[in-house]
Order: sequence, then C-alpha cells, then structure tokens
Amino acid sequence: MFSKWMTAACLLLCLAPAAAFSAEAGPLAQIEQTVEQVIDTLKDDAIRGEQQRQRLTELIKARFDFQAMSQWVLGPYWKKANVDEQETFMELFSELLEASYLGRIESYTDEEVRFVSEKINGPRAEVETLIVTRSADIPISYKLVDRQGEWLVYDVIVEKVSLVRNYRGTFTEIARKEGMDGLFEQMRSKIEDLKSRSKEA
Amino acid sequence: MSGVLLFSAPGFSAETGGAGPAVESANAEPFDPFAGEYEEELLMVYDPIEPFNRAMFWFNDKLYFYLLKPIARGFRLVPEPARVSVDNFFNNVATPVRFANSLLQFRFGDATRELGRFVVNSTWGVAGLFDPARTQLGWEMKKEDTGQTLGYFGVPSGFYLVLPVFGPSTPRDAVGRVGDFFLDPWNYVFDESWHKTAVKMTDRLNVLSLDDDTYESIKAEQLDPYLFIRDGYMQRREAMIIE
Repeated sequence: MFSKWMTAACLLLCLAPAAAFSAEAGPLAQIEQTVEQVIDTLKDDAIRGEQQRQRLTELIKARFDFQAMSQWVLGPYWKKANVDEQETFMELFSELLEASYLGRIESYTDEEVRFVSEKINGPRAEVETLIVTRSADIPISYKLVDRQGEWLVYDVIVEKVSLVRNYRGTFTEIARKEGMDGLFEQMRSKIEDLKSRSKEA
Repeated sequence: MSGVLLFSAPGFSAETGGAGPAVESANAEPFDPFAGEYEEELLMVYDPIEPFNRAMFWFNDKLYFYLLKPIARGFRLVPEPARVSVDNFFNNVATPVRFANSLLQFRFGDATRELGRFVVNSTWGVAGLFDPARTQLGWEMKKEDTGQTLGYFGVPSGFYLVLPVFGPSTPRDAVGRVGDFFLDPWNYVFDESWHKTAVKMTDRLNVLSLDDDTYESIKAEQLDPYLFIRDGYMQRREAMIIE
C-alpha cells in the first residue's frame, strides 16, 4: 500500500540550502543540486551521528516553506487561529516532521534518483522525480513556491498521495474534536515520544 | 508513464496574479498568492462506520504484529534479490488482472504495454523471475484492477470500509476484489482452495518482507494512524482511477 515511504521520506528531507544558486536556477535544478548535496552528506563518513543530524536539520529548515505547509495542513483552522497559535503550530509541525523523518533518512542506501520534469506556473512549480529501487520505481513530486528566486517546497506527493493533504485530514479532525490546545498537546507528546525513541536506537 | 498529476489540476490552471488570502502572517514576509490551491477542497472522507472500522483496524494491527510480521521477518532469511524475483514472478502471473482492466477502461496503450511486459518478462525475464521490461526497456507496470474500472465507469466509492485481513477498502473496491479474484490465474491452477490461499499468502508475506516496515513507521509517527491511512488510501485510489 504505502510502499517505500521510507525512501520517500528520505527525499522529503533531501533538500539542502540553496545558497549556491543563482536566481536563474529553476526549481528542478535547485532540487536536483540539493538532493545531491544531502546524499553526499549521508555518504560522507566524516560526518556522522549528531553532527550529521544537525547538518540535515539545517538543510531541511532552509528548503521547506513551513509557513505555507502549516497553512495548508491546518486548512480552515489556520484562519481561525491567532498569530500566537499559528507560530506555535509552525514550530511544532516542523519539529514533528523532523523527529519523524530524520531517523529514516539515515537508512538511505544507494537508490538512484531521477529528475523527470518541471512545470512552472508563475510563482508555483512542480518537479517530478523517480526513485529507482530494486523492486519498483517510486514517483515522487515536489510542489514549490518561488520566494525571491528561492524555490521552497510546500508539498511532497509520494505515489500520488499528498503529504500535506494527508496530514490535514488528521490535524483538522483532531482540532475539530479537541481544539487547538488539544492538538498541540498531542503533537508535543508525539515529538517527545519520537525523540526518546531515536535516543534509544 | 502518464505525466498527469491529480493534484496539479486545480492549482495549475488557476490564475496566479490575484492577491492571496489575507492571512495574518506569522512571518514578516508577505504571503504569496497560492490562488487557494488546496483551500476549496477540504477533503472529507465519508466514514459513517468509523467505530466498526477502528475495531477492524485494531484487529488487523494485532494480526500484523503478532502473526504476519514475524513470518515476513522469517522470509528475510532469504536474500533480497531472490525475494524481489519472487515478487516479479507473482506480478507477472497477475498480468491478466491488469490487462483486462486496462482493456475495460479503453486504455489500449496500457493494455498493450502489459502484454508486452508479459511476453518480455516471461521469456527474457526467465519465466517472470526478472523484470527486464522495466529495468532494460523502461516499461513500467501500471496497477489496474476491477475496483478502478468500476470507478472509471462512475461507480462511486461509497464509504470507507476496513476489511478484516485485507485492510483499507470501500464497498466498490471490495466488489472489485471479487472481480480480480476471477481474473487471477491462480484460481484456475489449483482445485483445492487452500492451495490458492497458500499461494496468495506467500505472495503477500513476500511483499511484506520487501517492505521497509512502512506500517510500523506510520504507527510510530502519526498522531492518529487510522486517519492517516484512511485518507491516504482514499487519495491514492481516486488518483489511480484518474490515471
């Protein structure tokens, strides 16, 4: 069903800062280079453990548009929330993603990533990629938004399932039943839980 | 490979010049116009029998952790390339399901490719143990099934339904399973139904052994795994029907 989320998650995080890019570089070129940078980081035996994690975290934060993601994920509840709540949510959501996927990215082996195409439409773009594994090819596409020449990711679509939409289903449901505070509480305890797991591992 | 992406459709046809929603931005920077890309469609999954489904979800969860997963882990004693070959073999045998449903949906290109894949993999791929059609020729397998065909002809999916053992489904896809059952060659190979069951189980467990513990990850990471899987399943099925 959700086969190979792991690889997908790797890619979700395989995004590095675009400091090296000129403004002309299109979304595909930007993602391609950043994915390669991350893979290099993972393959570099000199960078391990905590140091590697920190570097990966920096890369992710620089490449993702957490505000746009948060806005889509919360849907109608984003508009209802006040600025404090929005900030709290963004903070927690980025921590949650980080805690979820950082452990998995390290299990990257040697899958080949192919960059298939890019579609640019004004300030938005979609880049299609393909991860070639031994048993199947997994299509993953990124949706990006142009922020002053930097293309930032605001959604990842893995085998036709949009992560943002999927998270939204869960988050809006919890917000509806238990309010924003209930949602924050659940997110906090999940983050704690995941962090303690990764320490044990 | 059709390059059409479901979620690009509304967003990419929308105009992009208009001002975005007036959001009190937490950041100082102004918010770009997304032209309300996801806003209109608050995807609500119709799930009237949620308590029943959650009970089934719980049952499948236990089944997975106490029975299926341990066996699948046992499968991992077999080297991975061999298990990939087993998977290729089963996929090759299941060609009629994909071929027939491609035809039923008038997707002649897909049907032809499935046929070509079958010929190439049955011969050059050593009776389907290898998949040179994909690795050498780039002919991707495209999953088509009776549930998708029903969807193609406008049969609505109905509500979300979690089946025991089989997992996420809908009434439409459950009916589709029956159709797939009759299109499946294994049906006509054995007389004894337990033989068929054994073969199908081997196939499923082998697939599970190749999977990187996806389910465990979802269980560990998601606030509500039930909802996450439900919404993912519905999204994916809708997208598969369109493509």
